[in-house]
Amino acid sequence: MTHTLHRSGTVESLSIDYPILVIAAQGINSKDSAPKFRKALEIILKHNPVNFGDMRTGNYFRKGLKPILNSTKENSIVHGVFTNKKDLEECLKELKEADLGLSVVVSGLFSEVWPTLKNIGLKPHSLNISLGVFGKKELLPEQDILDITTMCGHHCVSPLLVKKMISDIKRDKISIEEAARELAKPCVCGVFNPLRAEELLEKILKKSGG
Amino acid sequence: MVLYGMLITDLCVGCTRCVPYCPSGAISIGKDKKAHIDRNKCVECSVCYNNANCPVNAIQLEELEWPRSVREVFATVYKEHKQTNVPGRGTEEMKTNDVTGRFRPGEVGFSVDMGRPGVGVDLKDVEKLTMALAKVGVEFEPLNPLTFLMSDKKTGKLRDDVLSERVHSCIPEFKIREEKFPEVLEVLQRVSKEINSVFSLGICVKVNPDGSVPIMKYLDEHNIYYRPNGKTNIGIGKPAAKF
Repeated sequence: MTHTLHRSGTVESLSIDYPILVIAAQGINSKDSAPKFRKALEIILKHNPVNFGDMRTGNYFRKGLKPILNSTKENSIVHGVFTNKKDLEECLKELKEADLGLSVVVSGLFSEVWPTLKNIGLKPHSLNISLGVFGKKELLPEQDILDITTMCGHHCVSPLLVKKMISDIKRDKISIEEAARELAKPCVCGVFNPLRAEELLEKILKKSGG
Repeated sequence: MVLYGMLITDLCVGCTRCVPYCPSGAISIGKDKKAHIDRNKCVECSVCYNNANCPVNAIQLEELEWPRSVREVFATVYKEHKQTNVPGRGTEEMKTNDVTGRFRPGEVGFSVDMGRPGVGVDLKDVEKLTMALAKVGVEFEPLNPLTFLMSDKKTGKLRDDVLSERVHSCIPEFKIREEKFPEVLEVLQRVSKEINSVFSLGICVKVNPDGSVPIMKYLDEHNIYYRPNGKTNIGIGKPAAKF
């Protein structure tokens, strides 16, 4: 499962994109972990996430806050998405202090995440590194569309939906913010970053003269 | 577990609302001015059903039979696999490595995310890759859902009855000793030219106690591209695995 590994984009654009996930090792520390996942979500919520969710329930934009908080399970995988290092650092610090025993994984620019860990007395334990895309790349949509759709690693956000949102924004049927929220809905895990999507949509619109 | 597929019924009024939501581009409006699903392209991800808010509830669920049900297994995110209890298409990989100790120093884990991003992949193309990897001695992760579809794990052969199916993505997953990395990468590069799809390639490693990452040094020395962003396990899971 590599759902936040292959996010594409420029370093500048990725500098506002820090999803984290909290997970139990099934059969080792998963027993009675449901309340711990709830606690982890409560900590995430204190630090201004722009999206959050549980892979077993869904994301904030489709399910809302309470159903996610009240439905944590022993095999939950909970997520939060942060757009700056300060919020990320404060959240990780509190998760460390809470000592829930669950594993925590941070996605984002290694050059930004590792110093953040150092600030709170942690260091990288294991890494997942993306070597990019191989094969018939001509089957892929345009790169600026991919930069948006790869924010849902399970690829539930359709390139056609991005194009529809762009068209709707151009015709004043929808705001950029509303478009970004609509794009966040199909991403079940809640790892889609709607703030980054707004910036990327603006860039596409500017490029196309919209 | 009952597995469901998508069906657009005659209730459809042709409003086109569902069309852009399909990640596979499988929904189109026919001559009858109603939406239709191309069953070859559809990977049964249920994104249309869950998100398009069809105004007349024309998108409905139908129970899937084997082997088409394979599509839903590899598409629906929130359902856990009964063998692993893990939701999604893969396993815990490095996400719990601080507790499981699955990837040891000197080992490299691979996750070959076939069909991703967003293209989808025929299982016969997946078999091309798994069989080529098996030839160089790769052993597939036994708990990965794809491994359960193999009729012969030693050769990477998939069951014949699933070969005509197409999935949103699936992940051949395995680990090797670091010295074998160039040989495996060569196989992946070669087969990538033989398939009618794409794959996103990820590798997992344990960071050394001094903070060094030997595989990154290798990638740099050999000008092998890797993204500046990735996933970092921060090592606070308990009980901590011993390395």
